[in-house]
Amino acid sequence: MNVEKEILSFLEQPQPERFEELALQLFEVQRKKNRPYDLYCRALGVSVSSWKEIPGLPQQAFKHSEVRSFPAGETHFEFRTSGTTGEGYGRHFLPSLDVYRKAVIRGWDHARLPHFPIGLLMPSPRQNPHSSLAQMGGFLSANREHQHFWKAPGRLDPESLCNFVSGQPGAVVLFGTALAFLDILETTAGKPIFLPEGSLIMETGGFKGSNRTIEKSELYRDLSNHFAIPIDGIWNEYGMTELSSQFYSSGVDHPHSGPPWARVVVIDPATNREALPGQTGMIRIIDLANVWSVLAIQTQDLAWSGSNGEFRLIGRDPNALPRGCSRAVDEILAGR
Amino acid sequence: MKFPERVQAIADSARAFPWLGEITSQLLCDWVARELGVEFATSSWIRYGNGFRRLIPCSPILHIVSGETPHAALQSLIRGILVGSENWIKLPSTDLVEVRTFVDSLPKAIQPKLSKRLLPGWLESAATVVVFGSDRTIQEFASQVRPWQRFVPHGHKVSFAMLLGEWTKTEILGAIQDGSAFDQLGCLSPQFFLVKEQANHFAEQLARQLKSSSQVQIPLEAAAAVRAFREDWRFRSANDPAARLWESPDNSLAWTVLFDPGREFPRQPSHRTFVIKPFTASLEPSIELLRKHISTIGIHPVVPESIDLAIRFGAQRICPIGRMQEPALDWHHDGFPSLGSLVRVIDLEK
Repeated sequence: MNVEKEILSFLEQPQPERFEELALQLFEVQRKKNRPYDLYCRALGVSVSSWKEIPGLPQQAFKHSEVRSFPAGETHFEFRTSGTTGEGYGRHFLPSLDVYRKAVIRGWDHARLPHFPIGLLMPSPRQNPHSSLAQMGGFLSANREHQHFWKAPGRLDPESLCNFVSGQPGAVVLFGTALAFLDILETTAGKPIFLPEGSLIMETGGFKGSNRTIEKSELYRDLSNHFAIPIDGIWNEYGMTELSSQFYSSGVDHPHSGPPWARVVVIDPATNREALPGQTGMIRIIDLANVWSVLAIQTQDLAWSGSNGEFRLIGRDPNALPRGCSRAVDEILAGR
Repeated sequence: MKFPERVQAIADSARAFPWLGEITSQLLCDWVARELGVEFATSSWIRYGNGFRRLIPCSPILHIVSGETPHAALQSLIRGILVGSENWIKLPSTDLVEVRTFVDSLPKAIQPKLSKRLLPGWLESAATVVVFGSDRTIQEFASQVRPWQRFVPHGHKVSFAMLLGEWTKTEILGAIQDGSAFDQLGCLSPQFFLVKEQANHFAEQLARQLKSSSQVQIPLEAAAAVRAFREDWRFRSANDPAARLWESPDNSLAWTVLFDPGREFPRQPSHRTFVIKPFTASLEPSIELLRKHISTIGIHPVVPESIDLAIRFGAQRICPIGRMQEPALDWHHDGFPSLGSLVRVIDLEK
């Protein structure tokens, strides 16, 4: 697939002026190779002349369909969503990890994130080969000192984490899900872990399906106090199993921004058209690194549309939708 | 305040809230007589077996009401006033304007105390605690009530409709009525329609009838959920022609109709989302799993076979299609005696 080489080259040396050309080229390739997506585009009856018009595949489609832009027999990797919404899990198939690896590493660098020793509050790729986050952690830790603090689902190793931190002469990165950090806060309550100056915390994932909620500002305040780190030293990674690229923001109120190969359009749900700057809407991501499935993904996550492709994330959990006193049938049937 | 005055005051205040249904002094008196006996109005002893009985209110009643249910909150308050209790209402943090307006219109003597926080002593000293809310809310309060306190939980519920025979335009209009009221967010709102005969045609006719519906404004999060639902099902129906989607024209979110012959019950975002499923035996195991959570099942036709099936599925309330959102004034909310739960009985034995 020539377009894969072109995308890899773009990831290595981004040329923003080529984004549209590559996006349209990849869109055409994916329509030809990905029948479910092609049928969806036909149902929409769209004609596409700019990257913003590329139809976003509903994120849910990964739960109901095999969204591949390559022959099924060439599948070597399968990432799965957590399946916490009661509708089964979504699957993202890949024949190789080259583009994903490059997107993760180059995206980290593009966000000017440091190459400090990294502590991972997540499973290793070996512990959970179907987790794209675990794989991401694996890529980021490949060429630097690192340690995993994940014993089993829901069980972290706070003692090893403390030893890791205290054994470092300089700054470190701690990377994990918001839930994992919440667990650490609870299991080490009263025993603060002082990170070396200049360290960074990267949290991701929210609290989907956990029945636990905490305001972001509250979580960051607690993390800041517990780890002796400024609020702006706490980062959020916005990514998803169905994507290959990530968006980052620091502190509580700063917007997210992504690498040159991934752009965002905020869609006004009332009109189904692009939201005006400052307006709130649903995030649609056009990710050139999503070579093997569909480059445009329509999420249900809400954000304020900002300038220069930035966005301020508002909410990530579609199940948080107020339902009045009507109860969601699918949740009952899923045993939630 | 004496019973006749309380009844009159409720009827007067309820007049400004037509969505509560018809509430007149006569209807209220009839209801009390039916459920508690005519003697309740005069607080007198009545013969009961070899002795006598007298009903007195379990007072005070603490009503914990939720933000999305002014209808249920007012119903609960009306019941409390009717039996003669003192009433305390813990309002949601988002407040409930309708409840405040209703309360302001009542005579001072029977006005409940309102607060957005649970005031000290309320939970500890209430004789009856009525809670509306999610499982988590109910469990939270259930763990705090004392053994001597009466606890009346009203959790979130599932309602749906079954059309087991030939249907006409009357049922189409009834389905629209049921699926439109209260933004389809109530515990009596049908989340899906099981149709035995020509289900696809029913969906098509429903969509045709909805075309004349007016535009509606829905909150952003709900709009996003409806949009996501539509796109998800546009994708699914493009890949599986057995499923079909109809939607309000010009990109509006006024209504959505889905015909889904699949065996699963899809998550639907309410706000006039009509999910139509052919009623086949293969769905019954899933419906059985819902039985602990069922409130109302709307049925057509209203015949013994449909009624028996609705009972088997766990219905607390059975009514014709088109009446799902209009429970009778004296209905047994979640199967509880509406007034009987709020009184205690004193027996006088010879």
